[in-house]
Amino acid sequence: MGKKKRGHPDVEDILARPWCYYCERDFEDLKLLISHQKAKHFKCDRCGKRLNTAGGLSVHMNQVHKESLDKVENALPNRQGLDIEIFGMEGVPEDILQQHNQRIITNFYTAQAERHAVTGNPPPGQSGGQGPAKKIKIETPEEIKKRLAEHRARVAAQKAAGGTSAPLHVPADDQSPGQGASPFPPPQAGFPYPPPGAPGAPPFPAAHAYPPAYPTGPSPPPGAPAAFNLPARPPGGGAPAALPQRPPYMFNGAGAPPPGYPAGASTVDELISSGARHGDDIDHMIRMAEAGIKPAGKPAEDAGGEKKGKKDKDKNTRMVYADNEVSPEEKMALLPRYRFTAVA
Amino acid sequence: MAPSTQFEVAQPPNDAITAIVFAPDFPNRFLVSSWDKNVYLYEVVDGAEQANLIEKFEHRAPVLDVCFGATHEEAFTAGLDHQVSRIDLASGDQSVLSKHEKPVRSVIYSPQHSILVSASWDNTLHIHDTAPNSSHPVLTIPLPNKPHAMAASPSKLVVAMTARLVHIYDLPTLASALASPNPPSTIAPWQQRESSLKFLTRAVSCMPNDAGYATSSIEGRVAVEWFEDTAESQARKYAFKCHRQQDESSGGGDVVYPVNALAFHPVYGTFASGGGDGTVALWDAEAKRRMRQYQKFSDSVAALAFSGHGKYLAVGVCPGFETGMEDYSGEGRAHVLIRELGETEAKGKGSK
Repeated sequence: MGKKKRGHPDVEDILARPWCYYCERDFEDLKLLISHQKAKHFKCDRCGKRLNTAGGLSVHMNQVHKESLDKVENALPNRQGLDIEIFGMEGVPEDILQQHNQRIITNFYTAQAERHAVTGNPPPGQSGGQGPAKKIKIETPEEIKKRLAEHRARVAAQKAAGGTSAPLHVPADDQSPGQGASPFPPPQAGFPYPPPGAPGAPPFPAAHAYPPAYPTGPSPPPGAPAAFNLPARPPGGGAPAALPQRPPYMFNGAGAPPPGYPAGASTVDELISSGARHGDDIDHMIRMAEAGIKPAGKPAEDAGGEKKGKKDKDKNTRMVYADNEVSPEEKMALLPRYRFTAVA
Repeated sequence: MAPSTQFEVAQPPNDAITAIVFAPDFPNRFLVSSWDKNVYLYEVVDGAEQANLIEKFEHRAPVLDVCFGATHEEAFTAGLDHQVSRIDLASGDQSVLSKHEKPVRSVIYSPQHSILVSASWDNTLHIHDTAPNSSHPVLTIPLPNKPHAMAASPSKLVVAMTARLVHIYDLPTLASALASPNPPSTIAPWQQRESSLKFLTRAVSCMPNDAGYATSSIEGRVAVEWFEDTAESQARKYAFKCHRQQDESSGGGDVVYPVNALAFHPVYGTFASGGGDGTVALWDAEAKRRMRQYQKFSDSVAALAFSGHGKYLAVGVCPGFETGMEDYSGEGRAHVLIRELGETEAKGKGSK
């Protein structure tokens, strides 16, 4: 495939990055790693002097501050030992190195599979846009019939209401954009047809079969969305049909009305996919209810919460004592243990 | 092990610690007051890295604060039983100086003016003349709110109350009012301020050079302010965050601990803060820098004191009372540690 993977480095690139034994962080180059280690792990908390190694810091603490260093600061719980001499990437035990590489590789392929799943693209090297690989959504005939009936009922209701193109956005809350900006969505983020065996596949596939009709994969360039809203859609187009619809207000956040309703569904597949695009709210809710899940983890809410969390990072604190009127001593004085009762 | 300059006091109090003070004229002696109703007198043995219990003085109720009087043989205590008591440390005799309506939170003795001030949750200060056979009555000063912390500099008394109120009294004024034959019914504070900290004040400590004071709050913050009421001096005041820990469990937020104790170094004018996170940090108030942070103690730091010559730092460690601790007990978990400071350990860099 000629297309270069946007923003996703090769696994070799990731494996080549220097990383810190103490905290597993990886860095652009070795210099950065070493300065990180000096600042985070080998810095004297008494005088701020940065040493090159944990051993150096230990000697420094001993000689200058007459104290002993018992562990490496800011290190992972099982990496705090002073017995291993680390400098940059030197000194990392072979087994830890292997573990790290294994983890990188696993994470890489997990992430890659997720990306493929999200975008609906086949893994590189496999041809065809609509391989059978993508259809894992297992639906019983009853379910399909049920949804077909629902869809017909809706169309009928629409006709009865006289509106031919009134879109069926009943509950509006699922329609808010928000996830589109995230290049790495959580694996359960909605898309109609996950490939089989994608690691980290959603635990409740049924609940997510018809998620909000918003793309969650890497965002196409801002100019692209219009293309997704073309009403004339070739029937039976597997991959394109599976691509969720992108509303034009994705990037400005204004609440513009959603685009038109594609007419002329000729196949069951098309019906389903148009249902996926427009009836998703209802179906989604039904399926959620069937699976006994409350719609708590809506992507829009998730994204909103995350944003807020970042903005209010300073306020995201927990005070161990939070009463602003009554002092701890007053509370203690009321405990039976300490209470003073005057002797009559 | 590297040679440690820190050691634990033998026979610590049985329950949570409320205060530690060193004697003014006997630098190795110090008192510790505790929720176990006792006041303990210890003495540090120079060079031996040990401190021994000399005597303990039992009270009717938990003791919330203690201070030395004019000499190392006299002490005053603030009791949960509403009483302000005087202890003759040599004989062990106790006498009641005054009674408040509610528990007494703090006592402070001003050696410069020979007066003792007690602050109680009944929203009053009592000013006592401690001269033997004094005929002067106790002078009562009403406060607008509950006092939580109090500290004295050579000429000022700082009282921090609920609702972020801070009153600064002029000690000579208090002393002369007490001595006058017709004491006024009330004395206005020399200055009234609002705390620079948004949360409940935990501790106050005054600079030994009489220039200003530091306050700390339950919300991991310390503020440094100056007495002088000029624009330049007031512009110098600042506050900073401390005694916080990254909380991995809740995703990057901080766990914020109260700053329970503050103590200025008598010689260098730097100060130490002790927090609910079990750490003690040394700060350079002039350079606005942290100089040192000591290794974590086993529990919350409840009290701190420098000895008169600044050689020792006493740290009172016991479990901190946290929100929702209805079954709090500090029993058996109180420790007093003495840190012998290196010659320049507490010396600020900025004050050259």
